[in-house]
Amino acid sequence: MFWTIVFSVLILLCSESSVIAATASASIQLEGVHAKLICSDCHGGDASLTPQPSSLGVRASGCTGCHQGYDQIFDQAMTTRRAEKQFVKQTFGSIDSDFYANNCSSCHVSDCLDCHGGNGHKIKSATQEECLSCHKGYFVGREYLGWAPREDHPRYQRGSEHLGEKTLKMRPDIHAELGMECKDCHSMQSLIAGKKAAQTCEECHQPDPAVIEHSIAAHMDKMECYACHSAWAPQEYGSFYLRLGENNRAAEEAFKTPSLEGEYLVRAYLRKQDVPPLGLNSQQRYSPIRPQFITYYSDLRGESPPKIENRLLGAEWKAFFPHTIRTGTVMCDNCHDDRRRYLLEDPEDRLYRIDLDGLGLMSFWNQQGQTIRHGSFISPQQFLQIKKKDAPYTKAYIKRWKNLLGHDESSLKE
Amino acid sequence: MKIIIRLYLLLFCLLTTVTGCSQVTGDGSTCADCHQGLELVSENHQECISCHNGDPEEPNEKASHQSMYGPKNPADPKYWDKTCGKCHPYQLDRVRANLMYTNTGMIKNTQATWEGEDGTLYATRQEKIPTATGELLELKSVAELDNLAGELYRKTCSLCHIGVDSNQVWRGSHASGCGACHFPYNDNATYQGDDLTVKGKWPHSASHKMEKLPDNKVCVRCHNRSGRIALSYEGRNDGNNSLVPTRNGEPGPDIISGVRNVTRIQPDIHHEKGLECIDCHTSRDIMGDGYAYENMYQQTEISCEDCHGSVLSPPRTEQINRENDEVLRESAHYKRRMQQGDSMVLTTKNRKYSNVFLEDEKIWVQGKRSGKLHESKVITGTPEHSIVGHERMECYSCHSRTVVQCYGCHTEYDQRELANDYIKGKKTPGKFTETEDYRMIYPFPLALNQREKISPVTPGCQTFVSVIDPQGEKVLDEYITLFKGRQQLRFAPFFGHNTGTKAIGCGECHANPAFLGFGQHVVEGDNIESTLICEKSEEKPLDGFITMNDGEVKAFSAITRENSRPFMTAEIKKIIAVNLCLVCHDDPKDPIYQKELDYNVLDNCLQRSDSALQ
Repeated sequence: MFWTIVFSVLILLCSESSVIAATASASIQLEGVHAKLICSDCHGGDASLTPQPSSLGVRASGCTGCHQGYDQIFDQAMTTRRAEKQFVKQTFGSIDSDFYANNCSSCHVSDCLDCHGGNGHKIKSATQEECLSCHKGYFVGREYLGWAPREDHPRYQRGSEHLGEKTLKMRPDIHAELGMECKDCHSMQSLIAGKKAAQTCEECHQPDPAVIEHSIAAHMDKMECYACHSAWAPQEYGSFYLRLGENNRAAEEAFKTPSLEGEYLVRAYLRKQDVPPLGLNSQQRYSPIRPQFITYYSDLRGESPPKIENRLLGAEWKAFFPHTIRTGTVMCDNCHDDRRRYLLEDPEDRLYRIDLDGLGLMSFWNQQGQTIRHGSFISPQQFLQIKKKDAPYTKAYIKRWKNLLGHDESSLKE
Repeated sequence: MKIIIRLYLLLFCLLTTVTGCSQVTGDGSTCADCHQGLELVSENHQECISCHNGDPEEPNEKASHQSMYGPKNPADPKYWDKTCGKCHPYQLDRVRANLMYTNTGMIKNTQATWEGEDGTLYATRQEKIPTATGELLELKSVAELDNLAGELYRKTCSLCHIGVDSNQVWRGSHASGCGACHFPYNDNATYQGDDLTVKGKWPHSASHKMEKLPDNKVCVRCHNRSGRIALSYEGRNDGNNSLVPTRNGEPGPDIISGVRNVTRIQPDIHHEKGLECIDCHTSRDIMGDGYAYENMYQQTEISCEDCHGSVLSPPRTEQINRENDEVLRESAHYKRRMQQGDSMVLTTKNRKYSNVFLEDEKIWVQGKRSGKLHESKVITGTPEHSIVGHERMECYSCHSRTVVQCYGCHTEYDQRELANDYIKGKKTPGKFTETEDYRMIYPFPLALNQREKISPVTPGCQTFVSVIDPQGEKVLDEYITLFKGRQQLRFAPFFGHNTGTKAIGCGECHANPAFLGFGQHVVEGDNIESTLICEKSEEKPLDGFITMNDGEVKAFSAITRENSRPFMTAEIKKIIAVNLCLVCHDDPKDPIYQKELDYNVLDNCLQRSDSALQ
């Protein structure tokens, strides 16, 4: 008897859902390039079995019939988030095992629709805005349009708002100025192949050997183009994760923040938007690097004074490609004569005394106590080589400054 | 008998001279009956009514207090001619003319930069004060300045002038009049002394003991905003302001007024050595010299060269040879009181420092509070300071470690809301709020100051004004005010008070156009392209005031103060051209810099290096 009832209920449920599906298909209007498809093209013969045919759950089986191989996007960084998970495990693993799930998982590709219009019946080509909805804040993306994150305190939270963030106006990437969008370099093919871009800089640009810096072999052999041509980059020095807990209004008020969505308030000790430091990337080429992240944790959920406060969980740097390309670059001394740019600042040259604020590091711009992921810092010996002013350097140096002087030395005379 | 009477009279005179007044606390006055434990002001200020008035024989509290001055602060400008000024008329006359009291400079500059100029000079109260050149300067009361500049001054800046009692600012409160510095408030303006009738009460000075030689804490109560020199001096920075790292679960690491957190930077070398504000700044710098000035840089009489010498001449000195020399009086409370015959170092106004002297062919600075002697290094004749062209530079152009720069000051004046007018003493419609774009401390731009010398400059100010009228309509929106007849932002010459022994390196400055006022940038050919840009223009840097396109330099912001200006094209090209030398001659002591550079020589150098390569 019991099994008869169960069986009847199951049959009833199945028949009802097929009724719903049939009704829905009758009223649904498809739009866009897929407008002429029929339900089963995406949903298969029984729509109830694949209600979300573009999702990670079915590896986008509804899409791959035509877009073969595109499900490989789910094997790549935007879905797997391996690096982020590993970072969170290393830093927050022993403190808050749910940190990733609660704070990071919203930016993770789990469906083709995440980037393609959000509605399976109105699928669109991915827009720049969709890219920037995850590639926001500190993450590479928004600087392409000349939007930099502002300091966290309400005093600095002003100016134009883009996609929900107040931004500081910076010089956009020249490619953006010329009308190019993310997808013009980051094609679907490149993304599913796990490549960062469809083509390298050199595949579009032939470096002009008449440019002084391009005439220097070591520059061409050892440097990423963007080590010089990235004009600026958001840099966050000291990321403080203040765990206020849920609905801790008193703390929210004290820290001058609107109500939090989760448990954490994140505050940067210092933000800079200038030319970032340099290091070696995984290909052993000179590249911009930045903190990602110099992480501190304070548990402010109850006890006062808190048991854990300003604990340094990790001081990790990362080689990256700031999307702030300009044809111009900084002048020679900026790389060849500045120890800070290689995190080799001498203790007596420190301006910020984070050691006195109890940050557990002698300086943000000193390698001591800091690490770099998939790359390496420049050693003091390497810097001596960079700093060496031999005859070819001197010659090129003078030429570059003469260019800036416009070859017009008559103006130098009184 | 006559001799005995004379001796008695002499003894009486001596006693009254020593004690100052006749009544001693605890001598039976009703004041002392209640205020037991109250600290003596000083050994020379022993009884109550000379300063406070009131009735010392009346046992009833109310009746006894009725005729008191204040009753809390007899040093308030309302009473100071009857109290402090009665015995100290010289000091009172000076303070009355002092810019910290009149605020004439602040008001004048606010007028100039907020379109409030009306050809009149103002002060916190109406005054007539002689100038250093002998004319009588008429200053109108700022209560009459009926425009936005007047409103801004009265509702924000005026809270720091020493004529007003400011008692609701965490770590920024001060009494009015002489008490502002000599009877300091603590962090929340409550009395912490031993008189139980006043203990814990607000607003009162922390103690009833007079601070003869005020410490830095007194200065920082006001000098923590705008130029923030008291913060920078001690190696503290209120920029960025994210309220981290936390301290005991609260915003940190150190919170000052306006919920600003202060983090640490490298302090000024003088602070590191233990010198306090008053060790460099003379009493005439701080309390005024009796003359009315229109700007603080005119009242200030000290300069780096006074103690460190200039390239051509060592510090100038003059012996104490009169028994009424001010130095003898001023140094009375120092550990080492200066004596007749001591060689005192002179300020730029040729007046003697009371604590800086020449002895054993060395210059010594005595800490006024600590008594510690510090040797001051003299730079006269040193090659690195004799670089031709650098005689145009202020010492602190090279020797500043950092210079605070606040970029983009967005001020809103909302006439629908009420705000305190600290001069009129009441709330009136119109409230100011402020947001900011970006804070920097290094690098810092240079330009020419009022002495036509090259000096650091800082935004002063990049104000964007919005005004909302009583009906809620935005009548001005991010408006840039007229300055000298033109809509333009402004930078002000500025000594950031964050000096280091190690100077900014030659290449560090010459090879980084940010120091010339271009802001952060990239360079292509003879174009300098700013990367942090103004919201109102794609072309202009937010953190600079000049641009270079096809080699052509254009300034778009003014440098405030007379004779001040950004570098001109020819100057910029000369500064840049030095890089052609510096690449080989990188030692500032190199003899080539001891004479004017011949820029044509560079081509020869280049040819020589060409032939060396072949």
